[in-house]
Amino acid sequence: MKSNTTKAEKSRGTFISRLKANKELLILSMPGAVWFLFFAYLPLFGILVAFKKFRLSGDGFFYNLFTSETVWFDNFKFLFSSGDAWIIVRNTVLYNLTFIILGVAVPVVLALLLNELKNKGMMKIYQSSMFLPYFLSWVVVSYCVFAFLNPEKGYFNAIIQQFGGKPVSWYTETKFWPFIIIFMSQWKGMGYNTVVYLASICGIDKTYYEAAVLDGATKWQQIRYITLPLLKPVITILLIMSVGGIFKADFGLFYQLPRNSGPLYPVTNVLDTYIFRALKTSGEIGMSSAAALFQSTVGFILIMIANKIVSKVDSENALF
Amino acid sequence: MKSQIWKRLAAAGLAVVMTAGLLTGCGKKTETNSNGEEIVELTWWQIGDAQKDQGAVLEKVNEYIAEKIGVKLKINTAGWGDYDQKMQVVINTGDDWDLCFTCSWANNYLQNANKGAFLQIDDYIKDTDMYKNIDERFWEAAQVQGKTYGVPSEKEIGSMPMWVFTKEYVDKYDIPVEELKSLEDLEPWLKVIKENEPDVVPMYLTSSYSAPIYMDLIQNPVGIEYGDDTLTVKNLFETEKMKSTLQTMRKYYLEGYINKDAATASDDKSVKRFVTKGDGQPFAELVWGKDLGYEVVATPIMDTYVTNISARGALTAINAQTDYPEKAVELLNLINTDEYLRNLLNYGIEGEHWDKVDVSEDEKAEAQGKPYVYENKIKLNEETRKNYSVSYWVQGGLFNTYVLENEPIDKWATFKEFNTASVEAPSFGFDFDLEPVSTEVAGFGNVLDEFGKSLYTGSVDPEEYLPKLQEKLEATGIDKVIEEMQKQIDEWKSSK
Amino acid sequence: MTTQIQKADIKSEKKISERKMQKQIKKMEADECRYNQIKTPTNVAFNIILTILSLICIIPFIFVVIISFTDEATLTMNGYRFIPEKLSLYAYEYIISAGENILRSYGVTIVVTVTGTIIGLLLTGTYAYALSRKTYAYRKFFTTVITIPMLFSGGMIANYLIVTKVLMLKDSLWALILPLCLNSFNIIVLRTFFKTSIPDAVVESAKIDGASEWRLFFQIVIPMALPGLATIGLFLTLGYWNDWFNAMMYMDNRDLIPLQYLLIQIESSIDWLASNKAAMGVDGITAAANMPKETIKMAIVVISTLPIIFAYPFFQRYFVNGLTVGAVKE
Repeated sequence: MKSNTTKAEKSRGTFISRLKANKELLILSMPGAVWFLFFAYLPLFGILVAFKKFRLSGDGFFYNLFTSETVWFDNFKFLFSSGDAWIIVRNTVLYNLTFIILGVAVPVVLALLLNELKNKGMMKIYQSSMFLPYFLSWVVVSYCVFAFLNPEKGYFNAIIQQFGGKPVSWYTETKFWPFIIIFMSQWKGMGYNTVVYLASICGIDKTYYEAAVLDGATKWQQIRYITLPLLKPVITILLIMSVGGIFKADFGLFYQLPRNSGPLYPVTNVLDTYIFRALKTSGEIGMSSAAALFQSTVGFILIMIANKIVSKVDSENALF
Repeated sequence: MKSQIWKRLAAAGLAVVMTAGLLTGCGKKTETNSNGEEIVELTWWQIGDAQKDQGAVLEKVNEYIAEKIGVKLKINTAGWGDYDQKMQVVINTGDDWDLCFTCSWANNYLQNANKGAFLQIDDYIKDTDMYKNIDERFWEAAQVQGKTYGVPSEKEIGSMPMWVFTKEYVDKYDIPVEELKSLEDLEPWLKVIKENEPDVVPMYLTSSYSAPIYMDLIQNPVGIEYGDDTLTVKNLFETEKMKSTLQTMRKYYLEGYINKDAATASDDKSVKRFVTKGDGQPFAELVWGKDLGYEVVATPIMDTYVTNISARGALTAINAQTDYPEKAVELLNLINTDEYLRNLLNYGIEGEHWDKVDVSEDEKAEAQGKPYVYENKIKLNEETRKNYSVSYWVQGGLFNTYVLENEPIDKWATFKEFNTASVEAPSFGFDFDLEPVSTEVAGFGNVLDEFGKSLYTGSVDPEEYLPKLQEKLEATGIDKVIEEMQKQIDEWKSSK
Repeated sequence: MTTQIQKADIKSEKKISERKMQKQIKKMEADECRYNQIKTPTNVAFNIILTILSLICIIPFIFVVIISFTDEATLTMNGYRFIPEKLSLYAYEYIISAGENILRSYGVTIVVTVTGTIIGLLLTGTYAYALSRKTYAYRKFFTTVITIPMLFSGGMIANYLIVTKVLMLKDSLWALILPLCLNSFNIIVLRTFFKTSIPDAVVESAKIDGASEWRLFFQIVIPMALPGLATIGLFLTLGYWNDWFNAMMYMDNRDLIPLQYLLIQIESSIDWLASNKAAMGVDGITAAANMPKETIKMAIVVISTLPIIFAYPFFQRYFVNGLTVGAVKE
């Protein structure tokens, strides 16, 4: 008994003293934590909708939520009802894997190039212009791309015909689209992603380079042995985070860009477009919640695995 | 002391949030009109883009209806593309709203009625004038399992697929368009155009095109063929008519009659075309002609059929949780019967957005005795009309509005005749409860999108792709859907 | 009283440190010229590569600009062309004459973007700083707090309820500002930045000198982490500038809608009307006829994008190498 109380007291003591020791940092993290409470945690009750056949029988959302029939996993069934489930999952995962790899490789290379430029004025111009595509919505981009790929009067077919080739029916030939989609996604996102790496390179302590230069290191060696290793934490973190999105796809990229062309579905149908088309007719909010929950859960599992692997190899750079 | 700074900051932050909240959530004051009636405010959600002069028009409207029925109106709009999503949020969260626009193609009427979002209004409307005025078939279509959940806007009741010909070529080659009905009838003339007019697309189709369909697609692609009184549920792609239509489309495509980008194109007005397909209504040629910038002639492809989908083209529903159901119905009744209010809402303020113009005596005499003929026509003010132009049917029926200067005075009478002449599809009045097969139906969307457009436009070979389509439909469970629908429709038939 | 003195203190110290830093920067830049530059041919090669990439990025945008200056009738006649037959200022004239709306929306966008970026930087900075401190006992807990929302969300309807019913922010500009001011991605990027670019030695020596955490944060960490903060600031600015979804959800008052929403709404309406032609028939055509024309749409894209392009150089000012050196040496 006696020893128990002292233990409790002790632990309370350490709890309070820990609280005191961390008071300042705790206060610093409070505003953010409050934000997360309101904008991320309180809305989580919405997940319940995924297990309900949501009906409106009275006043107020909560009343309706609790009076609606609980159907457990019925809302998830439609995700697997299609014979194409395998193709859709394959497309989603393969495209995302490509995006993850290119999403690191392209911006890192660009950041290195930009950072080495002698003329810093040009660097700003390049960076600003690479940002432009980020501002065009996929609808506008799809108009522009259509101006090039239109089988009847697009620029590409005009050029092909000028050189005596046969015009290509761009919107029905699946073989071009994996490339087009990957290219366009990089085109749109590279300016944005480069910034993180550029800033990180700028944040590297200059003394490393000074020392390296004194030792007679070449530029290439500096990049290889200083810049890249110091970028590793950022790269690792961004990789882990992007793994969580492997089941989610940019709707506009896969829907608007190929102009929702049916013959291209084998290479453009991804989870998000599939869900959109499936729910167009029924409009059940339970089903759309179920789809989102499914995507999140898979992402969550993958992030945990990725983080585990990273923390085994290199615990410094794990997410948590 | 340092923590004091933080406390102050926190307090300031809280105060900011609170004031922001206060600013928006201020309480309502009760007002009364000259009859001593308490004035209530009703919120009405409408589809379409917000109009610049909406505030000014609403002020006039409110002045009038506050006196007349003790109601003030607040109109919220969501754009065409956003309306579905916005209404899903507004309706499901139990937000405060009283009236909303609903129909078969946006903010789905049937789904929301089934879900319990809308008020059942049978008891409220029984004795109203609008109930007597509006074509009873609209009221019939508004019924879901025998209950009414919305007030229909009286417009064209059936869908009328038409061939739309460019007049220039019709005149040039002296084409007897009145005789051209079916898809097959077009062939010789497509050939003539192809041979003689190298820069004209004989048959111009876009991605929203669907081949002529001779059935009521209750749940695309499952439905009942027009004229089939036995009410046999069929798969559209297994009907003989559709099979042969697809073959013909393919033939036309291969012959080069159809533009190569048909399956993905959006209407490009720079393309010269001889014929295209459109869903029409009386005087549709004028609309198409104005849109394209040259004259067109249109002929109906088939008889006009009335289906649930076509007759639910536009309705206004009342929130099941509204505090003022009587007032809401009263308002809708007034809009659908009051000439002043209806035209004010539809065209804007007289003298500012439009002016009355006289009708010639000849025209008046000719229209004598016809219904929905008004004393005058109106002329829109070209300058200000862009500040207030709403779609007729969003707020109420068409027939209570004045016609425009360039339209015949008996325009609405023609509409009415058209509606009377439309034939009811055998399945008219039947609603499919897709609850038991919702998983299967969810699968259809992807299959139809994948194959539909390219088959309809002839872009792919039906010999190869039709079996593929069937296979996928079967995999998603079309047989179960057909079976379920047949069961429900049999029950419906026996109860009728 | 004391707080005021302290504030003044902080200010003057800040100024001094800023001045020092600028000197440092100049010195560093000069150093750089001397000892660490790529060879001219390599520089030329890099420039060529980047020029090509930039062109690929600019061309579609130029295309959009050209369309916005094309005569509407020519556009209907010939379709999209790089070299239009006839130019016209109609689209811009239309926008200016119908101006009120667009100007007001501009104002809304600017207010929301500036306020949001400042609030967002403060919240992200403080939270990320706490997470980056190795001595922080609740680090793991607060990391988990931000990891879960990265994946799971309650969905549109739940968010709407919280914002409108709990926080009562409907039709308030705060509804456009608050939902976007913080996100897990930014926090983690900034935390990693703090961790990698601020040596522990600096923090420890300051702690030994008796500096409190917020002094440390505001006077040492912020100046040292400018490139990182500039990145997050840029992301926040772009996020706010491009946002339309929150406006669609929470703004029923048409006077308070931001520029992007104006544009997106027109875009989605035209798109929707085109794909629902079959369902709407003639009504769809009449509705579409009331929509602004193609050239006007493109002109709005141009008008809404150009100002934000100039934001980039502003943020990039802070991407300066070698700041940490000075701090450690002192």
